[in-house]
Amino acid sequence: MDDWDSWGMLACLCTVLWHLPAVPALNRTGDPGPGPSIQKTYDLTRYLEHQLRSLAGTYLNYLGPPFNEPDFNPPRLGAETLPRATVDLEVWRSLNDRLRLTQNYEAYSHLLCYLRGLNRQAATAELRRSLAHFCTSLQGLLGSIAGVMAALGYPLPQPLPGTEPTWTPGPAHSDFLQKMDDFWLLKELQTWLWRSAKDFNRLKKKMQPPAAAVTLHLGAHGF
Amino acid sequence: MALFVVFQTTFFLTLLSLRTYQSEVLAERLPLTPVSLKVSTNSIHQSLHLQWTVHNLPYHQELKMVFQIQISRIETSNVVWVGNYSTTVKWNQVLHWSWESELPLECATHFVRIKSVMDDASFPEPNFWSNWSSWEEVSVQDSLEKGILFVFPKDKLVEEGSNVTICYVSRNIQNNVSCYLEGKQIHGEQLDPHVTAFNLNSVPFIRNRGTNIYCEASQGNVSKGIEGIVLFVSKVLEEPKDFSCETQDFKTLHCTWDPGTDTALGWSKQPSQSYTLFESFSGEKKLCTHKNWCNWQITQDSQETYNFTLIAENYLRKRSVNILFNLTHRVYLMNPFNVDFENVNATNAIMTWKVHSMRNDFTCLCQIELHGEGKMMQYDVSIKVNGEYFLSELEPATEYMARVRCADASHFWKWSEWSGQNFTTLEAAPSEAPDVWRSVNSEPGNHTVTLFWKPLSKLHANGKILFYNVVVENLDKPSRSELRSIPAPANSTKLILDRCSYQICVTANNSVGASPASIIVISADPENKEVEEERIAGTDGGFSLSWKPQPGDVIGYVVDWCDHPQDVLQWKNVGPNTTSTVISTDAFRPGVRYDFRIYGLSTKRIACLLEKKTGYSQELAPSDNPHVLVDMLTSHSFTLSWKDYSTESQPGFIQGYHVYLKSKARQCHPRFQKAVLSDGSECCKYKIDNPEEKALIVDNLKPESSYEIFVTPFTSAGEGPNATFTKVTTPDEHSSMLIHILLPMVFCVLLIMIVCYLKSQWIKETCYPDIPDPYKSSILSLIKFKENPHLTIMNVSDCIPDAIEVVSKPEGTKIQILGTRKSLTETELTKPNYLYLLPTEKNHSGPGPCICFENFTYNQAASDSGFCGHVPVSPKAPPSMLGLMTSPENVLKALEKNYMNSLGEVPAGETSLNYVSQLASPMSGDKDSLPTNPVEPPYCSEYKMQMAVPLRLALPRPTENSSLSSITLLDPGEHYR
Repeated sequence: MDDWDSWGMLACLCTVLWHLPAVPALNRTGDPGPGPSIQKTYDLTRYLEHQLRSLAGTYLNYLGPPFNEPDFNPPRLGAETLPRATVDLEVWRSLNDRLRLTQNYEAYSHLLCYLRGLNRQAATAELRRSLAHFCTSLQGLLGSIAGVMAALGYPLPQPLPGTEPTWTPGPAHSDFLQKMDDFWLLKELQTWLWRSAKDFNRLKKKMQPPAAAVTLHLGAHGF
Repeated sequence: MALFVVFQTTFFLTLLSLRTYQSEVLAERLPLTPVSLKVSTNSIHQSLHLQWTVHNLPYHQELKMVFQIQISRIETSNVVWVGNYSTTVKWNQVLHWSWESELPLECATHFVRIKSVMDDASFPEPNFWSNWSSWEEVSVQDSLEKGILFVFPKDKLVEEGSNVTICYVSRNIQNNVSCYLEGKQIHGEQLDPHVTAFNLNSVPFIRNRGTNIYCEASQGNVSKGIEGIVLFVSKVLEEPKDFSCETQDFKTLHCTWDPGTDTALGWSKQPSQSYTLFESFSGEKKLCTHKNWCNWQITQDSQETYNFTLIAENYLRKRSVNILFNLTHRVYLMNPFNVDFENVNATNAIMTWKVHSMRNDFTCLCQIELHGEGKMMQYDVSIKVNGEYFLSELEPATEYMARVRCADASHFWKWSEWSGQNFTTLEAAPSEAPDVWRSVNSEPGNHTVTLFWKPLSKLHANGKILFYNVVVENLDKPSRSELRSIPAPANSTKLILDRCSYQICVTANNSVGASPASIIVISADPENKEVEEERIAGTDGGFSLSWKPQPGDVIGYVVDWCDHPQDVLQWKNVGPNTTSTVISTDAFRPGVRYDFRIYGLSTKRIACLLEKKTGYSQELAPSDNPHVLVDMLTSHSFTLSWKDYSTESQPGFIQGYHVYLKSKARQCHPRFQKAVLSDGSECCKYKIDNPEEKALIVDNLKPESSYEIFVTPFTSAGEGPNATFTKVTTPDEHSSMLIHILLPMVFCVLLIMIVCYLKSQWIKETCYPDIPDPYKSSILSLIKFKENPHLTIMNVSDCIPDAIEVVSKPEGTKIQILGTRKSLTETELTKPNYLYLLPTEKNHSGPGPCICFENFTYNQAASDSGFCGHVPVSPKAPPSMLGLMTSPENVLKALEKNYMNSLGEVPAGETSLNYVSQLASPMSGDKDSLPTNPVEPPYCSEYKMQMAVPLRLALPRPTENSSLSSITLLDPGEHYR
């Protein structure tokens, strides 16, 4: 299973690296449309999905049982402020591209804030490093989504004043509830990344240029 | 009397009422019941905080009072704690008192009441307890937020090993609540239908992120909610160990300690314990930033004594250690510097160094360590600032490492760090003569002397040996000494000396000079003294040798031997008073023979061979068996011999041989003993004790019997390897007799044959004279003389048979045509008087197949007359032909008139002759029918005399057909072969 993970990560990295030089090259040859940046965002999502799997394992072990137990599935009573990734299938299908991208952007903006709070709590240096690295990657994903939205001509959602989520080490929260929040944060992140992969895949297919254009694109890059 | 009783009763009643009045007055004067009791809670510390006042206290007066407090839980009758609290109370004072509950306050309602009593000396006895105050109820549950399940206490911090009570409050009693500690379910005590408490005894430290305890409310399988707490268990703070302070410069005190376990907890619940230094004389305090050391600045030069307290502290505990010391007693010097060496020569050097100056009158104690040649020398020296030490008795050409450390000489606290440097002493001339030995090979006219020497040890070489000088001086004739310089690392040289006495001096030389000389004298007499070799037994430890002392003065003895398999000469010098030694070396191998020679060294340094010893460090069984020859085999005995077997090259001394004999006989032969072989089979064994006896006659054997023999040598370690037995079969008794008869007979026959050979000419002439040669016949000269000078005689070998005429006889004589040559050879000629024809094999390259004549019925008369003709007698011969041949005269005529002429007329292509038998039957010209219809000889035919006849005479015309027909008589295969 770990081997598969490693191969998956490697494949994702390779794909990301493959496409990185392609973007400016495409810009030189003409406007390629939002396709490549959607692909890039999709690949980044998959890479983050994998990265989170490893990070969540370490962090939940750090929290201790029952949070690191594989079958621990508590009812979600707290953590109401976290954006929910789960949505009814019909609702999800009915979403238009703009709404879909806006929801993604908003969700990751919130989750990134919470994640930074997590980083402050972590006691071990190694865990802090892993969290910081993941935060940077997530920031990158947020930028990618913004790029896609810009390419499609959608405006970025403006955060309402006062609703900016902040991490507060409040005494109101007991340590157990904080741990529970952390648990849910990681779980939501996982679900969001899974959902985003689906979203971008759908968008990618939708935005895919005709076959002739693809051939031209491949030829231009010496394939 | 009655009056008295009434009076008495009245008195008592009065007294009683007086007493009652007095107490009422007192109580009324001091109504000390606690009032205004208020109870508050502290959830973090799980404590109840009580405050109350006491009324009616005298103004400006402090009274000592005792308060009894009762605490009940859940209901007032359930008293969980009763205790007294003594204090002095002032007028109008609000009293405070706290009580910590082991059960979280949120889990149960608590009730508190209080009463008091005066306990002051200013108030005479008796004192009475006041009434209880009314119960004060404390309930935190009411303040709980909305929810279905609560677990308490929230995020408690305790020390490892503490007892903790936790509880949960479930709003809905329908819910089934299960609680887990680190994933394992725990069971508690139900306090009421909503509340259950769990007592955790001696909680362990699991991780610094806290121990998770959670409860889950469920109905059926549906989880209704989950709630938990994190119990932070801190390790017990340890007292700092090895706390000490010292100074290197009288400016800073460096204090160190071993902090022990870090008690920090995650989620900022508890940081690492803090350390604080407190100096009591100056009253200064410093919070240390490091967990195991702290620097204290010395500000007052006058302060010499310090009393330090190190305080370790965390949220739960405080520990401290204390040291009191005089500053001058805690001087830890900085390590010396500028370590150097001066005047270094072969055996001594001066070491210098410096120390950091502390004060004017400061004296250092320094310790010097000198490491070299695997040894360590230590010297102590007292210095001020500049250190110097004379290092003597050093070894030449040796690398040394010298290091120094210093300490305060007046109050030793601890040594400074080491400061060191390496140096190498200079070389000196080698101090000892090399150990020299020789081997002498005497040859006619000279000696070949090989000198060997052992390299000098490092101790004696005093440097790198560059070469060895060998000086050879003739002692018999005055002549110049010969000097040879042999570069190191050679350890031997060869000298060829004539038959004079020579003195050889060997010195080892390094860059500084030469060693003392090692002198050895080679005498003029050849070293061919015959000394008997003695066998010795070695042990694992080596060989123990002893010898008879040499008469006369000796300066010592030398034992030499060769190391195998390197064949390197080794020797050992032994003192003059010693006549035994043990030669032990790891080079000795089992199964290898070592030869030791013991020499005595005379005062003239001439070596004289005294004894020879030979032995094995460990004898082994023979490695091979002899190759045994069996000879002199008779019907009753045979001889075994193995003369070629070398007893010297064996891995042990051969003590003899075992001869094993296997036979069918159950009894062993005389001299043989029964033995059992390693494979379990039985045989007879004969032991030969003399290793040089390499033959054995095995006798008393039975004729025509099979025996198996095996010969193996043996040493003290055992027999040779197992091998196969050799089979020997004794011959028949009569066969020898037969040989006695046959041999003379063969001899006789041979004799006869030789005689016959020698007399062959005579026998030939007697038994089978030569057939006359026609060329040499007298008739030829006669013909030549008379008529034709070109007349030739037909050579038999020139003729080619074309046709054979066969005369058969009814007696079964069978002659077949040439194509069936095989059957002809197989035919048994019952009457060998006939002539038969055979072509010579494989001779078709010549003129053609030739005919061999073998005529046993040679006519004696014809032979006598010298006529080469055959005159068989045949009654059936035709009269014409017969008539032609009947007499020599007729023959002569024919030859003269026709035959000879016709030869000259024969065409060149028809030179072959046709033999025409007188009885030849007419042949058909059909060649195809030939193989299937061979010519059958007519009944009772026989060969007549054949002769070459001109074609014209034999056939009416020499047609092609006739020629063909005659050729086809031959088998086609044979013909063209």
